[in-house]
Amino acid sequence: MRRMNTDVMLGLGVVLLALLAIFIWVPDDTATGLIVKLRGRVSIGDALAPTAAFVLMVVAGVLIAFEGHGKDDVPHLSLANLRFVGLFAALFLVSVILMRWTGPALVGLVHLLGSTDASYRDLRDTVPWKYAGFVTGGTFLVTMLMSLIERRLSWRALLVGLAVTALLILIFDVPFSDLLLPPNGDV
Amino acid sequence: MKKFLKPLTLAAALLSLSFAANAESWTPPGPIKMMIGFSAGGGADTQARLIAQAIENKYGWKILPEQITGNGGLNLAKQLKSEPADGTAIGMVVSETLTYSALSANQPGLTTENFTPLASTVAFQTGLVAMKGGAFDSWDKITAAAKAGTPIRFGVATDRWADVTYLLGKENGIDFNIVQVKGGAGVMNGLRGGDLDIGWVGGAQSKPVQQGEMVNVASAVSHRLADSPDAPLITDLGSKYTLNGYFMFIAPKGLDPDARKALGDAIAEVLNDPSTQAHALVVKNFGGPAVLTGTALNDTLTNLMSDSQNLLAAASAN
Amino acid sequence: MTEVLHYIWLGILAVFNGYPLFTLGGIAIPAAPIMVCGGLLTGIAVGATPGLAGPMAMAIALPILISVFGFTPDALLPVFGFLIGIMKGATVGGAVPAILFNMPGTPDSVMTTLDGHPMAKAGQPRRALRIAQLSSVTGDTFSDLVLFVCAPFLAVAVEAYLDLPEKTALLILSISFIAAVMGNSRGKGLLAVALGLATAFVGTGQALTPRLTFGNNDLSSGFSLVSVILGVLIIGEILIGIEGLWQASRLGKKKEDAPHDPAQDDLQPGDIGRIAPYVARSAFIGTIIGALPGIGSTLAATLGYSLGARRHFKRGKPGDTPFGEGAPEGIAATEAANSAVSGANLIPVLSLGIPGNAAAVFLILAADSIGGFNPGPQVFHFTSPQVNPELVTAFGIFTLMSIGNILNWTFGGRFMRAMGVLARIPGPILLPMVLLVTLTAIYVQQTSFFALWVTMGFGVLGYVFRRSNIPVLPFVIAFILARPLEQNAREAFSATGGDPWFLFHSATSIALILAAIASVIFLGRKQAES
Repeated sequence: MRRMNTDVMLGLGVVLLALLAIFIWVPDDTATGLIVKLRGRVSIGDALAPTAAFVLMVVAGVLIAFEGHGKDDVPHLSLANLRFVGLFAALFLVSVILMRWTGPALVGLVHLLGSTDASYRDLRDTVPWKYAGFVTGGTFLVTMLMSLIERRLSWRALLVGLAVTALLILIFDVPFSDLLLPPNGDV
Repeated sequence: MKKFLKPLTLAAALLSLSFAANAESWTPPGPIKMMIGFSAGGGADTQARLIAQAIENKYGWKILPEQITGNGGLNLAKQLKSEPADGTAIGMVVSETLTYSALSANQPGLTTENFTPLASTVAFQTGLVAMKGGAFDSWDKITAAAKAGTPIRFGVATDRWADVTYLLGKENGIDFNIVQVKGGAGVMNGLRGGDLDIGWVGGAQSKPVQQGEMVNVASAVSHRLADSPDAPLITDLGSKYTLNGYFMFIAPKGLDPDARKALGDAIAEVLNDPSTQAHALVVKNFGGPAVLTGTALNDTLTNLMSDSQNLLAAASAN
Repeated sequence: MTEVLHYIWLGILAVFNGYPLFTLGGIAIPAAPIMVCGGLLTGIAVGATPGLAGPMAMAIALPILISVFGFTPDALLPVFGFLIGIMKGATVGGAVPAILFNMPGTPDSVMTTLDGHPMAKAGQPRRALRIAQLSSVTGDTFSDLVLFVCAPFLAVAVEAYLDLPEKTALLILSISFIAAVMGNSRGKGLLAVALGLATAFVGTGQALTPRLTFGNNDLSSGFSLVSVILGVLIIGEILIGIEGLWQASRLGKKKEDAPHDPAQDDLQPGDIGRIAPYVARSAFIGTIIGALPGIGSTLAATLGYSLGARRHFKRGKPGDTPFGEGAPEGIAATEAANSAVSGANLIPVLSLGIPGNAAAVFLILAADSIGGFNPGPQVFHFTSPQVNPELVTAFGIFTLMSIGNILNWTFGGRFMRAMGVLARIPGPILLPMVLLVTLTAIYVQQTSFFALWVTMGFGVLGYVFRRSNIPVLPFVIAFILARPLEQNAREAFSATGGDPWFLFHSATSIALILAAIASVIFLGRKQAES
């Protein structure tokens, strides 16, 4: 029997974070206190509900530590889990970067050739520019995840990625002129 | 007769089209991002989207609507400020956002002078609303109930409405229980469900009033309401303040005057054109368009700004 | 009575004689029934696609519908028809990926995965889908009938008894329920609820300066419902799934093919008799929960499943498949309960104007945008001889719902099983694909990469929850109910003139609070025993 297991640590960690929130974060980052008396009216302030939620969290943390005390084996995150999440996050990050910057990079290239002076922002509703980022970023995400699972790069993964992005363009962009695919709402 | 008129109307249409084209020295360099400060599918959102559609049809400009909601329009204002001031980014808010709300939230960077106002679309028809046949459907009943010691639940949707309520109550010696709910629709829901006794509604009460379900006890704007011409103005009931206001389009500060004029004219044109759906909608919900552009709009906003400053000072002083 | 019949007849006429879509051989084809059909098919397909949910499809469809049909009261029934079709279809369709891929198509089909997927893995996907469809449509139909009968009466009665403090108490009761019923650790259930509440409070609030945002502008209107729910429920599950496949491929394990036995893979004799009592109980639970504003189908499914499991545990015969391992009763108990919510949910909408879930919100938005129909008590004024057009519309809506049910009974199941073609897409292709579809759908709605970061963040949170054995559902439900709860409490507090004891002044509200406390102690203890 171990005195400390991950559940006890989780419980104590939750209590600590909730206390920090109650005494530092909530008072510091809300415009009104628990109860407001302002301009002739009494009302519940913006701090009351979050404080109540974090008090509940303290109770939850104590209960978890109490329940976990004395148990041998509890399910918890492993280092391998964290490694996987990290890898996944990295793929997602690269995909977002591709989505965001492929279009502007292409437009920049065309500027070098001197054939247009419109910015990507001006071209974000014009074929083919508006699809550039979505196709590269979306295809990258699907292809790399498939390759990750299968532990090898394959033409099949690339084809699936292209097919999925093409399908999504057909669903969201072609019939509805007001909907924007990534990254065209951010530029 | 019809056959005879047809070529004439066609010619007139072509003529006006070419006029419009001539007046148009400015065209947007790319698609226009239209930020909408109201939740999707609601009346205000629909209004903005129909205006966008009508402009697309009439001028061929591409408009991409987008929702930026929250904090009484201040979220939109903050984001619009960081967009380029070249006419490719505009936003729809209420005049209250850039006047009372910006002042009250202590955000001097978000007041009217930090933006380029393009055009107002409709004016609020704010009334003090109660259920018809209920215990509060006239000002006399309300004051009598208050004198008898009945607590009165007063629904408001914004801080500005609450301040006007507070000062109105003070002038009349009434201590209302001011309840802040979500929008005019929230006030009407509260009235119908019996959770509220009276409340302000900015124009959506028109239909229930016409159908005899609710009454406008008083008008909160500076003119009498079309649906209830007999209802007194709140300024007649002792209030020093009104709840005047507009839905309006704005752009970032420093917009080229040509672009401002072109955009404002485009909005005015489609709203005042009886053949557009946008026109039909604002006629139905707000008694018709109230489009102000250019200096007229600037002056109106200046007035609303000083009203807001006075209101805040008066409400805080007490 | 004749007045009521007269209005019902007018409502039916309004559907079939209303807005014509086109004329065929001189006969005008009414738009409304066609729109129900189109909506139903869309809804099933959308429900069957993880990451797309009914409300999302309704949100995309509403502006399109309005631009097609315009702003006249004639447009009400066709637009409602399509939206109601989506609502009904998504409820049925949500079971498809839940059963076939262990991935809820809609948030309320999470519990369907518990037995549906084991049954599919045991080689009986078709049987699982048929049971799901039968239970779902039965629950839905029952609920609609209750709506038709009760809306006029019940609504007025509820309205007469519930004031703002009681509504607050009702929300507290529903949150306590969840903390009590979900998961196998009270502490972890409570942690999920507390985190859900805290998440919902970020960025919102009444003051014009947003709270708890660390000054970040993108957070100033809070975490969006779509990002949080899809993140925790869908992305979290995708992460778990991809990691599982990744590790399986490292170990060189081939994914074993599920044995498939065509003779066993359809409704078995006795299935209907076996599931009938569970369907009946769950339909009843779902209908009651649906009629309470602010409580959605997810809670109904949870309760229906939990109570079904309890009954099965007590009364089941030794040879029966236990709950959680592919019991047909488990699928039935969940699907009947979550589908029974959709009809009853319209009781508070039509009679009080208060939406009970996201789908109902879109119906109210549609009514509000088009005009001529204001959901509320005045809808049920049986005026005569002057016809109350709103009441005609209400009965028109009932007619549309009946048409939807008939379609669902007749060919809904076939279409639903056709959606099973997705089953042939192997996991390594499917999971990354679903990820991209989900992210794209969220981007299209919110047009900002920030929304994607938020979704991913909550996806990782959902992953951590699953790995640490913390239940995800209480988090999501608490997140959804938090803002209405705070808003109601604020209103009740102000309306009573700043009385801090507003919850304890009426017998109803004291009873609700006592029930809330009792549910935590009583239901929680039972759980610990079993």
